[in-house]
Amino acid sequence: MLRQSPSFLQRMFRHRSTSVTSEGVQFLLFTVAIGIAAINTGNNLFYLLLAMMLSLVLISGIAAEYCLRRLEFHRHLPDHLIVNEPTTATLVVKNRKSQFPSFSLKLFDVSDSRKLDRGLEIRQLLPGISQLLSYPLVATRRGRLQLDGVCVGTEFPFGLFMKQTYYPINETVIVCPEIKPIDERLLQGLLAAGPDQSVHRRGHGNDLYNLRLYHAGDDSRKIHWPTTARTSQLTVRETEAEDQRRAVLYLPTVAPVSHDALFEEAVSLTASIIQYLAHRGYMLQLFVGSSRSSFGQGDLHLLELLRMLALCERCSPHAESVVSKDPSRDALEVEGGAMIVVQSWRGPGDIKPEQPTIMINGRLIAGASHAV
Amino acid sequence: MPFDQALRFASIWLASTSFIGLTLGAGLPEWLAVLTGAALIVALLRNAGGKSVGRLATHTLMSTTGWNLLVIVGFLGFWVDMLWVSGELLPAGVHFLMILMIIKLFNLKLRRDYLHLYAISLVAILASGSLTTDLWYLPIFLLYLFVGVWTLLLFQLTKHPEEPRILTMSVAMRPQPLAPVSQVTPQFFWLANGLALATFGLTLVIFFTIPRVGAGFYQKGFGENIRTSGFSETVNLGEIGPIKRDPSVVMRVELSDGPPQEAGRLYLRGVAFDQYDGKAWTNRLNYRRAVSEDAVGTFVLRSSRSLATPRLGDTIRQNILLEPLDTPVLFAAPLVERVSGKFPSVQSDLTGSVYLPFPSSSRIEYSVLSRSNPVLPEDLGAEPSVYPESVIRHFLQIPSQPERIAVLAKEITHTQRTIYDKATAIHSFLTHNFRYSLDAPLTEQDQPLEEFLFTRKTGYCEHYATAMVIMLRTIGIPARLVTGFLATEWNEYGNYYVVRQQDAHAWVEVHLPHSGWITMDPTPPSIESIGSGSPAWHALGRMLDTIRLQWGRFFVQYSAADQLAVVRELRAGSTSARNKAFDSISTLFSPFIAMFGGMAGYASKGTIQSLAEVLVPTLIGLAVLLWLGIRRPWSKGMISKRTTRDEQVIMQLYGRMIGHLARKGLAKLAATPPLEFVRLTQERWSNAGSAVASITDLYCRARFGQIPPTREELALAEDHLRNLMTLEKP
Repeated sequence: MLRQSPSFLQRMFRHRSTSVTSEGVQFLLFTVAIGIAAINTGNNLFYLLLAMMLSLVLISGIAAEYCLRRLEFHRHLPDHLIVNEPTTATLVVKNRKSQFPSFSLKLFDVSDSRKLDRGLEIRQLLPGISQLLSYPLVATRRGRLQLDGVCVGTEFPFGLFMKQTYYPINETVIVCPEIKPIDERLLQGLLAAGPDQSVHRRGHGNDLYNLRLYHAGDDSRKIHWPTTARTSQLTVRETEAEDQRRAVLYLPTVAPVSHDALFEEAVSLTASIIQYLAHRGYMLQLFVGSSRSSFGQGDLHLLELLRMLALCERCSPHAESVVSKDPSRDALEVEGGAMIVVQSWRGPGDIKPEQPTIMINGRLIAGASHAV
Repeated sequence: MPFDQALRFASIWLASTSFIGLTLGAGLPEWLAVLTGAALIVALLRNAGGKSVGRLATHTLMSTTGWNLLVIVGFLGFWVDMLWVSGELLPAGVHFLMILMIIKLFNLKLRRDYLHLYAISLVAILASGSLTTDLWYLPIFLLYLFVGVWTLLLFQLTKHPEEPRILTMSVAMRPQPLAPVSQVTPQFFWLANGLALATFGLTLVIFFTIPRVGAGFYQKGFGENIRTSGFSETVNLGEIGPIKRDPSVVMRVELSDGPPQEAGRLYLRGVAFDQYDGKAWTNRLNYRRAVSEDAVGTFVLRSSRSLATPRLGDTIRQNILLEPLDTPVLFAAPLVERVSGKFPSVQSDLTGSVYLPFPSSSRIEYSVLSRSNPVLPEDLGAEPSVYPESVIRHFLQIPSQPERIAVLAKEITHTQRTIYDKATAIHSFLTHNFRYSLDAPLTEQDQPLEEFLFTRKTGYCEHYATAMVIMLRTIGIPARLVTGFLATEWNEYGNYYVVRQQDAHAWVEVHLPHSGWITMDPTPPSIESIGSGSPAWHALGRMLDTIRLQWGRFFVQYSAADQLAVVRELRAGSTSARNKAFDSISTLFSPFIAMFGGMAGYASKGTIQSLAEVLVPTLIGLAVLLWLGIRRPWSKGMISKRTTRDEQVIMQLYGRMIGHLARKGLAKLAATPPLEFVRLTQERWSNAGSAVASITDLYCRARFGQIPPTREELALAEDHLRNLMTLEKP
């Protein structure tokens, strides 16, 4: 029993905190003054006033407790966020009490044990009623954004105290690196690099790839009638696949601490390039440190690459485990395509540059800045 | 009513409540009371929406600088008041407080101003608490508590008046309308009053449990002692007369042995006098000795065990609550044997009067055991008796009166043989041959007693008693005049006698050789003392007095000793504590219990009709309250009131559509639901189907879903109806 008592109390007051408002401070000062007057004079009417003020304090606590009890929260977040790009988050609050409304609720997001004021307030929430609140959410750092829960506070009923409680709702969302507009020179380099390295391949497209004799089962709509007429043999047209442009991006993660900001810029630049190329139909493969993705195309693949960038971490140069071989040769040998390397650090002799270094197919894009 | 307006109202009411409290308690100067009252009325009128009043006030009132100057002037006035006018801190502070309240009432603009007003009102109610202990403080306090809760609640709810910056959307999980959040709704009304009620309950609990610690750096008695007369060492004849018209309560007397018999009169003895000089009575036996203390707080004057012959008279146990008087006399029924109370000491003189060392400045409570002397059979016999010398020396003194008083006495008593019979004859003579009047101007006479006996034959208790004492003494019977109170007003709600100043009385104690001092009262019952009000009014007065008594006992005089007693009772045993608690609660609610008891008494007496007159409306009232509580008809009213104008428009459109369709031969039966009617219409008149469906959809949303249509939707519905009316039914 003795061992149970603290845990019960802990459960009871686990997530409760109370702070005194400015009006509350004045009220308490008056209460103390009346208490002193009552003790000094022994006047029972002073004691009556003192009792009234103390009961107001107690009623404040009880009513606030009822306001904060039995609330239910559901948060809806998008699948991923992008740094500095506002998105809309929604929070559904339901009052699960059967009788008592909740008043003057002030809601805070809690992330990393910090309360984030989103300006969310509910004046009155009737019993059994839900209210949907939406608010802009802007992430300032890539990685995993952990939202621990919701802190809800109220100054009801008398505005003397702010009582707060915490409802845990663990939510994790991936924050992708910031996508920025790309520099003109870098754009030209990228556009030039793509077609040179494209591989001709049969596929669905519009451009002619080959003419061959008709085989049973071929689509009759693909018969190339001019050739068929000229050769008197049924000839079908094969088209060239449109996704022939390929690129491999490599982001080395080895960089000293002093290059941390530069590394973040490199990550953001890589994400911007990936976004740019993906929208132009490139097949992309990404190497981040020692991890690599497959070649792919489309929104899902883009999201996968951005997630890789979101979660990558800088490694210090002395860490043995991070040393990896240059993937460019393998990639080119195996798959082909443009090789784009975004470097934040080029080795021990590197003087900290102002911006990441970009190499396309081994050619340094001098002075290229991705930011406009 | 919007919250903002309600807050202003509540704030002004809060200030008004504290002002009333202060006015009743402090007796503010008339000009200040009128000025503050006028300021409160103007503030209320401005808030009530009287634009002309508001405009007038705005034009005529001063600028901020002017108000600030007024504060400075008021502060200087406070010093002048404290140093020269009132001469005390508290009255001067109270006057300055009222000036501040007036200034603040005209400057309620910012939230800070409201806080200042609350602080002023709190200090004002505190000041009134320091200046009074009367019963009226209770309703003022209750009102202050309720208005205070309303004010604080509204102050909190109006803390964020701006709309939320973010988009909010309500999703009703069940079809319950959302109440407007910035209006005083019935729900809010009950919520605020419920909170106030809970606060009051908790206040009582805290009040009774909070430890009473009196450091006493600044303690002061409450009010002045009640001035009374007739209880000093020398009393002029006719001195009691003036106070016989004063209805102030001087004491309340509970009888431990239950209520007295019907028409019971209880003599509460004060002081006895032995010497009369023709105009004034004097107590020459006024040497006071300290009474020995038997147990802690119990003082024994005459012990039955110490007497040679056991006393046979009836004992009366009284519990007396004596208001602060300007005399140290302790009143009790004759003759006092034992006194118990929280006194440091008790004194007694040779006439058996009981005194405190000095007059008490606060209400005191004490218990007394009295035992009256019965007339023993020996005194009814004809044997001649011999009085002790001390009695003869002190109680046979007569002034140099004309012989005719002695002649009159002898004439009355010459046929009587015993002392007791002679005394009774004189008593009877005075009772039956003289008229009681408080207007007898005997005080100015040189020989008031002769004037009373032979000329005017009109007087009041002092004249009757003096006449009897002197007549008895002229025929050799020792007697003395006693002053005190004659309690006749029995309060059936609290089971106690209410004794007022006007009950001051004088009577006679006659010494019989064997029985001792016996009480005789020659004064006939006074007709004037019977009030002219209706019995119901008197009953209400008695009920109020009981409440006043309980207020004094449970609130004003509640002390650490009471708390200790409760703790001791709790320690002693739960049953005893439970009984005590039950007794206390019974005492607290005794007026109401007695009222119901009275109703039951009426019933038992067969006055069913009068009982029904009370019971039937009460039961009907209770039933109505119960019905209101369960059905909450106002909530329906509020829903209909909350129906917005747009909802009304769509309902009207729907009605017009139904009417038009009926004229076209498609009448909607009452039992047909709206959507079913749409289906029927589409089957019979396909061209009209879409318009009917559209209008019905909006109607259903507004009528049953509490979702008002937008202006665009209304415009569209009107177009649909217009088109519908142009269509021709095939």
